[in-house]
Formats: sequence, structure tokens, C-alpha cells
Amino acid sequence: MRKNLYNVGAILKGLSITFAFMFKKKPTIEYPSVKKQHAPRFHGLHELRRYADGKERCIGCELCSSACPANAITVIGAENTPEDRTSPGERHAARYEIDELRCIFCGMCEEACPTDAIVLTPRFEMADYRRGSFIYAKDRLLVPPGAGLGPAPDERPNGIPSDLGRVAEVKSTMDIAQGYSATNRGETLKTQRKGLAP
Amino acid sequence: MSSTPTQPDLVHLTIDGVAVEVPKGTLIVEAAKTVKQEIPVYCYHPKLGPAGLCRVCLVEVEGMPKLQIGCNTPVSDGMVVHTQNAKVDTGRSMILELLLVNHPLDCPICDKGGECDLQDYAMAYGRGSSDVADAKTSKPKGVDLGPTIVLDEERCVVCQRCVRFDDIIAQENQLVLKDRGARDIIATATGEPYRHNFTGNVTEICPVGALTSKTYRFKSRPWDLQRTQTSCTQCAVGCQQMVDVRSGTPLRTMSVESDDAISDGWLCDRGRYNIGFYASPERITQPLYRKDGEFHQIGWDDAFSLWAKAIKSSIAANGAASVGAIGGGRLTNEEAFFLQYLFRALGVENLDWRAGTQRQAGPGASGGTYAELERADAIVIAGESPAERAPVMDLRIRKAVARNGATLIRIAPAEGTPNVACIDVATVAQAIEAMPSGAKRVALVWDGVDLQLGAELAKAASGWAGLRTYVTGEQANARGAETMGMLPREGAMDTLAMFAAAREGRLDVLSLFGVNPVLHASDAAPTRAALERIPFLVVSDLFMTETAAMATLVLPAKGAFEKGGTTTNLTGDVLPVNQSLQAPESALSDFEMLIGLAQHFDEVALPTSEELDERVIGLCAKPPVADGFGAGRYASAAPSRPAPRPSDGLAVVVHSAVFAGGGTSAHDERIASLRPLPHASLGAQDAALYGLQSGDRIDLECDGVLLRDMVVAVRPGMRPGIVALTGGLPGRAANSLSAGARARVVNVRKAAAPVGV
Ligand code: SF4
Ligand code: SF4
Ligand code: SF4
Ligand code: SF4
Ligand code: FES
Repeated sequence: MRKNLYNVGAILKGLSITFAFMFKKKPTIEYPSVKKQHAPRFHGLHELRRYADGKERCIGCELCSSACPANAITVIGAENTPEDRTSPGERHAARYEIDELRCIFCGMCEEACPTDAIVLTPRFEMADYRRGSFIYAKDRLLVPPGAGLGPAPDERPNGIPSDLGRVAEVKSTMDIAQGYSATNRGETLKTQRKGLAP
Repeated sequence: MSSTPTQPDLVHLTIDGVAVEVPKGTLIVEAAKTVKQEIPVYCYHPKLGPAGLCRVCLVEVEGMPKLQIGCNTPVSDGMVVHTQNAKVDTGRSMILELLLVNHPLDCPICDKGGECDLQDYAMAYGRGSSDVADAKTSKPKGVDLGPTIVLDEERCVVCQRCVRFDDIIAQENQLVLKDRGARDIIATATGEPYRHNFTGNVTEICPVGALTSKTYRFKSRPWDLQRTQTSCTQCAVGCQQMVDVRSGTPLRTMSVESDDAISDGWLCDRGRYNIGFYASPERITQPLYRKDGEFHQIGWDDAFSLWAKAIKSSIAANGAASVGAIGGGRLTNEEAFFLQYLFRALGVENLDWRAGTQRQAGPGASGGTYAELERADAIVIAGESPAERAPVMDLRIRKAVARNGATLIRIAPAEGTPNVACIDVATVAQAIEAMPSGAKRVALVWDGVDLQLGAELAKAASGWAGLRTYVTGEQANARGAETMGMLPREGAMDTLAMFAAAREGRLDVLSLFGVNPVLHASDAAPTRAALERIPFLVVSDLFMTETAAMATLVLPAKGAFEKGGTTTNLTGDVLPVNQSLQAPESALSDFEMLIGLAQHFDEVALPTSEELDERVIGLCAKPPVADGFGAGRYASAAPSRPAPRPSDGLAVVVHSAVFAGGGTSAHDERIASLRPLPHASLGAQDAALYGLQSGDRIDLECDGVLLRDMVVAVRPGMRPGIVALTGGLPGRAANSLSAGARARVVNVRKAAAPVGV
């Protein structure tokens, strides 16, 4: 008997928590009619940016794709011709694709990009019926021509963006030793020189 | 540290605290390699020697007040060298800062980025910043240096490796350093496009991204590439090469620096650049069967049963002599072995690998190596020069002559004067006279075409000391095919006899594997006539060649990058062929085709793959047949065709060119500009006689055939009385002429000014 009374007490104790919540502020929102404000540095779907004059920022260097831990990016470079100057300088991305289903939204691509071309936006909604349609190509990644940002670097004939170094310097928050090095020879030599490796 | 050398020519020194013993005269860079210390270098290259231009190789030598350059300081006894310490690091970082003063920040778009010595050393030794506040100088980028190479003048660190390669290795002397100081640029001396057979090598030795290949430009970054080492099968030299593939497309090939025995670390431009055809949309994708004069796509099963049925019924009706097979020079050893195995098992003895002009591939008992060629005192070249047939072998000859002082003797040359000193003679007898009396090591290079010349050479060579012989053929695995038994035995028909029999209607089924006799045989008209009369002609090839277009059954084959096996080069080395590419779905290797055919013959016992490998290895290991040049067994039993009546005019010589040939190089637009023009080359004497200069267009009339619109090339050093035509140009059949043809010059159209050729 005493044992049964003890059980009622436990139930009441639990319910009291439930009752208390009835008078607190609700955390749920009426999605999709109401949308939550994300943190300013939220990593969502990508966009490929342009300069204010409409030229593409991407130079097809593949640094994003080599930085990507999920192997989600495919870039194939091509040469700018005098008739078709897609980007400033000599090279642009003929093909640029991100598999948004493989992407883990880490932002490494944005970090690696020397021209601030690939940027993760706060957009996060994606739904479709086929896996293939989550491979975003330039047609879905590239911002419209009017939506470019920033002055294009000086365009000397066949030149490279003149602020390339500065942009990279400002953006780089990564320890270079942890970055990608294709041959690693520089790294090996450096550690050897410091006496850190045999 | 001991300072008394135990051997007179060994030197003892200390590098980074480790005692080292190296031969006298060794440079510090090389000595440091023995203790696995990498000294950074730009201008130094083991094959080019020191130049002392870039100063990045600084090392400290105790007792010397200043830092020394490791690349040009020979070791001496008791030397104490530091390759890594604070003083050396400071020196190197200052040099790098200077090198980077005007160097653009191009790494993200630079084709060298990721495998660049400047990146690597800047990372290891550079300061990461610079005190120079001025803007970098701006120079032209993307300069078109020639049909293969793009130059970025801003990225050049003026190490002059490219200039020295052109000068020392290729001996072409085209590249020079123009202007001085911050304005210096690399250019050709004459301003003409940079063009010869070895241009691609400069992209590899350039330590930075200043010289890059047009075909690879912006196609990939180095870390995307999947690398496979294989042997080049585009000529019989057998250079080792790396094939770099990105997502199923071969993007570039690179030489193998350690391949001292064969390529010496270089590649010719054909081996390097002729790789685009693998992805050509013109490749045959399905077996094709001719019915009512039209090709119809069929499946492999049908193809095999049609092929087998034709062979069976022909053997039943007319005996095994009515069946034949030609091929092997473009196949692997395993395929060539299995080809003759299968057909001999069916009783077919009409087997030959020779489909062009070459008659012999074996060098006899005294076949030499490339190292021996390089060390020769005298080199005799008879027949076509190896310059276009075996280009990387020609580099050895250039090295032997220009750097080791060998005497080069050319017998009746049909080419212009080479870049190295040579003695031209008209006959073999004169060659014997011209032979320097003290010559102890003689190398004899022959093209394997004219057996009579071969026999004469063999006789002359018996008096030469230390003889080494070489046959530069036209097909990569000619020697392998010969070793594997793709030569007719006593009583069987060779290619010429098969064609003669075909013209008489005595050949029913002929299977051709990777050969195109219509384009490459010396006499196109009778070859065509023969193939036209064959009721069932099977051709396995990658493309619809002139010969395939005449076939009853066309089989889509795999290329060399798409299959594995071994190949034998002209010096007899058995080399691996490794698969680096996936073939188009419906293509089969010649081996797979033969297996498919064999399934229809129950009586044939197929060897297991181990047995097959064993027998191939066994044949490869056998010493070459001892009979020498022009041996009787290579002669044809076919009745020789009557020579054309001697008439006036120039004797026609048909020669090969690195980028001629209709098989593969014609199917890649990116190298279209490398294809040779339809040249008619004349010696200076004849050019003066006919009033011609380089660049003139002429028509040639030979035996009633009119060869239109040939471009005159005047080549000093060519013997008089001949006109040399580039063979193997599709649609320009110089080989449509009968052997021994003579040409008359008709319809001269003068060029405005003489043009370089
Ligand atoms: S966010 Fe991360 S995972 Fe996604 S594409 Fe960029 S680098 Fe790759
Ligand atoms: S890193 Fe930037 S510039 Fe380079 S390919 Fe990616 S998006 Fe383009
Ligand atoms: S040459 Fe080397 S350092 Fe210079 S831009 Fe190219 S990759 Fe960068
Ligand atoms: S182009 Fe390359 S190889 Fe030639 S001098 Fe310049 S850096 Fe050296
Ligand atoms: S490598 Fe020694 S000076 Fe250039």
C-alpha cells in the first residue's frame, strides 16, 4: 500500500514539469510560414559570385575542390579567349559542380578560394525527387550577372587579379601546415630544416 | 673524419656531419644525394650540368668565407659541408626573395602549381613576405612559342635550362635568352616558331610554370591525375613514360628521369603529345560487317562466328594456304605470340608482321644497347635516318657525336644535313674508306628496308671492330613480333606473296591486326588490287583506316594505354605495357578478339595464361638469331615486279616523319599543326637546277600519277638526283608510286619569299 502511494508521488512530480512548461515561451516556430534567423556565419547552400562588372570571380583553380574534405566539388578549367572573357585573367571554370548531398557544409571551399568566388550562403532548403538534381552546376550556383560584388581587378592584357595575394592573405585563417600540399615536398623540406624530421 | 683517400680517385668529405666517400670531381649537389640531403636547385640539372645562374643551391663550406654554390663546387678531400644551417637558410631565403621580386602570384592558375620547385622551395626556405614595395614588372603572358609550347614570360626565373636543353641535348639551338636584366625573355633565335621533335621536354625541365604544353594548358591540376608508368609504343625505341589520366582522359605523358638505359630521361613529341586519339569520337565503336557494299553494326558474337565460318569454309574448300594473317608490330608480345599460335594451330602458315616497307627487325648476333651506341667511336647510318623513325635514339647519336666525339657516317642520305657533324658518302664501299682507322667501337644503324643494302652492310661490317648493330623499324614491336614467330616459315607465304596470291584470287580470308598496308606499303596500287580481290578481309584497328574501309569485317581494337602486356624494343629489351585507361565499352584487345575467335574452333587446345606467359618469356629470353643484316630468310619469295623504265627526272625516296601516319596522330585536332606538310625535299644542287626555293608549290608527275601541291623544302646535304616525299600522309599517298619511281617537276608556283621548312 505504502509502495503504491509512493508511485503516485512520482507521477505527480513528473506531470508538474509538464504543467510548468505550459506557461513558458514556446521555442517551436510555424515553419515554413515563419523562418528562423540563423547565426550570421551559418553555412548553407553555395553560390558562385561575380564582380560588379559581371565577370565571374572563379578562375577555375580547383583549390576549393582540393580543400573539400567530402570530395564534393568538380572543377574543370579552361582558357579565356579575347572574344570570351569569362573571368579576369587567363583562366576560368568551364565546368563547376558541387554535389550538395555529399557536402558537409564545412566551409573549407570558401576558405580556400583565392578570389572569394565560392561562398556559403544562409540558404538551406533543398528538396527534390532525384539524387542527380542535387549536383548543382554553374547554372544554379552562379549569381545573376547583375548581382556582382566588388570591383574587378585591373584587367591588363592576360593579367591576373592584382589583389589575388591580398585577398588570400586577408581570408586565410588556416595554418598553412595543415593546408593541402600536392607534393608535400616543401613541407618535408621545411620540417627537415627545422630538425623536426629525420 | 679520415683525410687519407683509400683509393686515388675517391674523395672523403663530411656533409652535415656524415662522412661521405665519392669519386673525385663530384659536385656537392650530387654528393649530398648520397646522404639523402636535397639541395634546392633551379639551373642545375643532372643531364645539363651546372650553370651557376640561380644561386639557390647555396651551402656552407668550412674554411670558405662566403657561401658556395653546391651545383658548381666540386668536392675536395677533407671538405666539411653544411647544407642546412642558419647561415645557409638566410642565404637561400634572400635568393628566393630576389627570384620572387617580379614573379607573379599565379599559383592558382599556373599549370605547374602543385609540382613547382619555386613553390616548394619558397615554402621551405622563403620568408613569406618581401621588403620590395615596388610593383612587379609586367611581361607578356600566354606567349605562343611554337605549335606545342606556351611561354609565360613573367614566371621565368631565367635558369636557362630550356636554352641549354636545346643546345646540349637536342642540339637544335633554337631557344635563346633575349635582352638582359629584368627584361630578359626566352625566345627563338630567329623569331620562327619553336619547333622540332623534342620540344615538349622543356616543359618538364623548366623548374617553374614558364613553359607549359598547349595540350595540357588549364586542363587539370597535378593532384587530379592518376599516374601509370608504361612503355611508349609509338616507335621502336621503347621509352619509359608516365601517363597522367584525369577521369578517364589521358591529359599528358611525362618522361621517367631514371630511365637511363632507354630514353635517357627524354621523350619525343610524338610519344608525349599523340595521346588525344584515345578519346577521339572517330574511333570505331562496334564491329562492322559489310553486306551489299554497306557497313552494318553487328555484335561481337556474330562477328566471331562470321569470321570463324569464313576461315573454316576456306580451309575446307581450298586448304589452309588460302588463309593468312598479318600483324604483330603494333601488338604486345603476348598478342603476337597468341596470333601465330592460334593460326598455326588451325594449320595456317601464311603469317607475317611486315605490312610496310621494313623487311627485317632483328639486328643479328651483334645487336647493341643504347649505352653502347652512346659510347661508339663511329656511327654508320644507312637507309632512312633514325631522326624521324626512332627520335629518342637519335638523341643518343647526337650526344655521341657532339659530346663524345664520335664520327658520324651517312650512306646515301635522303635527308638534309643533321645538326651534328657528319661525313656523307654515296656507297657502302666509301663508308669503309671513311671509317676512322682507330675506331674501336662501331655502331651500325640501318632502317631494315633494303635487304640488298643490308647484306652489303653486313659484309662491310665484318671488318669493323667492336660492332654493334641496330635496326630502326617502323612499328613499335616489330622485333617482338619477329621473336614471337610472326614470320612465315619455309614454304609459307610472306606479305608480298600473300598479296600476289590475292591478286590471282588464291587467298580467301586475310586477317589484319593493327596494320594499314594501303597507306604504308611501298606500292599502293598493287596492294589495293590485292585487298580488293580478297573475299573475306578482316581488319582490327582503332580507326576506319584506308585498309579498314576495304574490309568485310572491321573490329574495334583497344589502344596500347588500354591493355597490358609486354613489348620488345629495337635493342631487344622486353618492356612492360601497363593499362592506364579504360577502353570504350565495345572495343576488345586483339588478344580478346583472338580468344573469341578460338572459341569457335573446338579442336584448338588453348594454353592457360601461365603457359602463355611462360612461352612468351621463354621466347624473349632466347638469344637473337645470329644471321645478320639482309639475311636470306627475310627475303620474299614473291616475284619481284618489273622496275619502271628508267626515265628522266628525280628518283623518288619516300621517308617517314614523326607526326605522319594515318593511324592515330591524324585523329587529334590539338596536334594537327604538328602534322608535316606534303613536302617534296630536294638537295640544294637540284633546287638550283630547277630554280626552286623552299616554300614553292609544285606538282610532281610520276609514272602517270600526278602528285599535286607539294611544298618544296630545300635541304642542303641531301644527295643530288632524288626527291624525298613524306610518306604515310593520309590523302597524299606518296606511296601510291611504284618502287623505283621517278618524278618530273611540273607546274611550279613560286612562293613570294623563301620560307623556313
Ligand atoms: S562546404 Fe565543405 S564539404 Fe561542402 S563543398 Fe565546401 S569544402 Fe566541400
Ligand atoms: S577556389 Fe575559388 S577560384 Fe578556385 S576554382 Fe574554387 S571557386 Fe573557383
Ligand atoms: S611557376 Fe610556380 S611559383 Fe610561379 S606561379 Fe607557377 S606555380 Fe606559382
Ligand atoms: S623558361 Fe623555364 S627553363 Fe627556361 S629559363 Fe625560364 S625558368 Fe628556366
Ligand atoms: S642550381 Fe646552383 S646556381 Fe642554380
